Amino acid sequence: MGLSSALNTLNSAFVSNAAQSAVISNNISNASTTGYARELANVITNYSGGSSVVSVTNEADAALQDQVNTSTSQAAYQKALSDGLTTLANTVSDSSSATSTSGAESNGNSPSAMLTNLQSALETYDASPSSASAGQGVVTAAQDLASSLNTGAAAVYSVQAQADSDIASSVSTVNSLLSQFTSVNAAIVSGTASGANICNAEDTRSTILTQLSQQIGISTVSNSDGSTSIYTDSGATLFQGGEASTLSFTPTTTYVAGTSGNQVMVDGVAITGSSSPMAIQSGALAGYENLRDVVAPQYGAQLDQIADGLISGFSESDQTGGSAATLPGVFTFSGATSVPSTSNATGLASEIEVSAAVDPSQGGNVDLLRDGGINGSAYVYNTSGGASYTSRIQDMTDALTSTQTFSAAAGLSTSEGLTDYANSSVSWLQSQHQAASNQLDYQNSLVSQATTAASNATGVNLDTEMTNMLSIENSYTTTAKLLTTVNDMFTSLLDAV
Amino acid sequence: MSSIVSTYSLGAASLSAMAQTQSQVSVLTVESSSGEYADLGVQLGEQSGYELSLRSQVDQMQTLTTANNLTVTNLTTAQDAINSMTSTAQSAVETLTSLSAGSDTAAATLQNTGTNGLQELIQNANTSSSGQYLFGGVNSGAAPLTNYSSTTAGQTAFDNAFQSAFNCSPTSASVSTISSSDMQSFLTGWFSDQFSGTNWSGDSTTSGNWSSASSTNVTTEILPGETATTSTNANGAGFQQLAEGYAMLSQLGGLSLSASAQQTLISTASSLINQGISSMNDTEATLGTTQTQVTDANTSMSNQLTILQTQIGNLDDVDSEKVATQLSSLQTQLETAYELTAQLQKMSLAQYLPT
Repeated sequence: MGLSSALNTLNSAFVSNAAQSAVISNNISNASTTGYARELANVITNYSGGSSVVSVTNEADAALQDQVNTSTSQAAYQKALSDGLTTLANTVSDSSSATSTSGAESNGNSPSAMLTNLQSALETYDASPSSASAGQGVVTAAQDLASSLNTGAAAVYSVQAQADSDIASSVSTVNSLLSQFTSVNAAIVSGTASGANICNAEDTRSTILTQLSQQIGISTVSNSDGSTSIYTDSGATLFQGGEASTLSFTPTTTYVAGTSGNQVMVDGVAITGSSSPMAIQSGALAGYENLRDVVAPQYGAQLDQIADGLISGFSESDQTGGSAATLPGVFTFSGATSVPSTSNATGLASEIEVSAAVDPSQGGNVDLLRDGGINGSAYVYNTSGGASYTSRIQDMTDALTSTQTFSAAAGLSTSEGLTDYANSSVSWLQSQHQAASNQLDYQNSLVSQATTAASNATGVNLDTEMTNMLSIENSYTTTAKLLTTVNDMFTSLLDAV
Repeated sequence: MSSIVSTYSLGAASLSAMAQTQSQVSVLTVESSSGEYADLGVQLGEQSGYELSLRSQVDQMQTLTTANNLTVTNLTTAQDAINSMTSTAQSAVETLTSLSAGSDTAAATLQNTGTNGLQELIQNANTSSSGQYLFGGVNSGAAPLTNYSSTTAGQTAFDNAFQSAFNCSPTSASVSTISSSDMQSFLTGWFSDQFSGTNWSGDSTTSGNWSSASSTNVTTEILPGETATTSTNANGAGFQQLAEGYAMLSQLGGLSLSASAQQTLISTASSLINQGISSMNDTEATLGTTQTQVTDANTSMSNQLTILQTQIGNLDDVDSEKVATQLSSLQTQLETAYELTAQLQKMSLAQYLPT
């Protein structure tokens, strides 16, 4: 071995130092990038005894990354559900400033609270049946109740429409991410084959997967050529063999009673909805779908049942002993010709209104509340015309609490008093809201734990990098010293000649 | 060797701890100022309906309590009116007892007693409270009693009946020949018929001669699901007996009757008025019982309200001491987190390397 061979080795040390410094710089500059996997310079001893950086790889941990993706999907699902439920829960919000000794007006805006107000108004009217202002109070309370049901139904439809448009934008996000994934994946496959530095491409791919799992629950499979296949958590293929599937969805812009939205399709197969053979379980898409097709419609059905209970509870029957049909009384809906059955209540909550016949502002007569006869003289209860007749008022008060039949489709008790039913409906909604909110907190903390774990396993520690930098610096200094020494030896040799 | 902690998670840990603490602080601030949970719906969940039903019961009872107070006022007013009627009747009876039949002033005193008594009876029977006639039964919109004998139709009917019973007009001189027994049969016959059945009241569908009250009394809900009869009506026996006694005196008392016929008139009228007083006392007692029932209902509701409000408080209200303690410990926690972040920033190898 001669001096020139020593110079060659020193030269390779400089090259290797530079390459390692570059990797360290890269790591330091990405210390705060989430999802960045720390790069490693793989140094080997080369044929001449020097060192060289043969490749740069990153410290990816697929299992931890999967954990991050899975919990991200779950959190996105709960977030979609929780946001929708918050909107619905706002319509029943119990006024938080209400003190426990407060009167009827501070019970919030739920149909349930409005029922209470109506009951109070009826009881006041019962004590002063000849007072037109007490009657007017009942009309106002009834109108508030009807409008609270209208508002509730409108909120259900708007939550459904919002979920539908969220599905549409989620589908287009997924399609765009899949097309980005296609090109990144191709780069990784060719980079793996040629031995190029694919660290940045791998980071990008992993970031895309996390973004994808935000929208839709996925599982991934790594292939030997460095490519990754993506399937939904239900098994439908999203990306395989370099080809991405396309999600298709036809949005529905307007939701009214009974509207059912379209499902998301992949290669002609529905991946959302109860009738889908491979329905996705998590991700924002599944959350929006559940909100749009299950939770919101069920709450809507409960409101419809309350409206139906009111219409039939306050209906008027023939008082002459004749066989005229029972007809809607104080509570009616446009075009009403009969009292609808519980199984035929769809959309009643959005249509229910107070009969104009009892509303003085629409030319009606408040006394019809007390006397009956909204549907004509055959329906008059107070045949003697006494101003303190209270039985009809008491009938109506009883209608709020006496047991009625409700449709099982709404998912609550089928036989209950109307007020209790309305309370159960609020309970149902708030418990869904509570569960989604708790689940969201839980999933969010899982995401943060998984992200921390993944970051600890694959992320950058500045002090480590700094320490490595120091040793490279020392190595550089030593190499430089050696170079000077070799140079001196050459000079001495040449001087001696 | 301990495992490596990435710089990102080192910073993120204290960052997320601070964010979490701050959001808890904002929730607790709301709770400590309002005394109730910040998001009641999320806090109660399934129990929301139960809470609403408690509130609903509270509202119902508060409304019923207010309504019952109105009912009590009406009942008291009605009893006062009855008291006034019975005391007038009492003094009328005393006047009649002290009167000797056939004396010079007897006729005038009898007529005055009758006319005044009738006027006072009708005035009291037509007592109203906030637009409702208290003795009208369910037909509380119309004044219950009218003095039929002072109307033209009433006067004509009386004159005709008098004519057919005694073969003379009430103003003729021959009234002094009417015998005591004829007078007795007129009083218990045609005259008495005017104060019962459809002559007295048409029961509000067709108006009777005297009363337009309904015999159906007002029922009011006094406790949730419990109703009570909270009025009486002017079709009661007491009203009929008093009206008959007074009308007798005002129609016949002023005539120049024989002493014996006058005595029959006096004794028949006194007995009717006495019966009327006793019937009225019964009515008053019934109203008094109802009043007790209503006041008892209010007492019972007031006890229940206390319990219900405590239950609502248990659901809605936060423990203010607990909130205050949590708030101050969170403050300490937050300050520590700030301190730590600052310290961590300094803890970098870069700070210690020679430049």
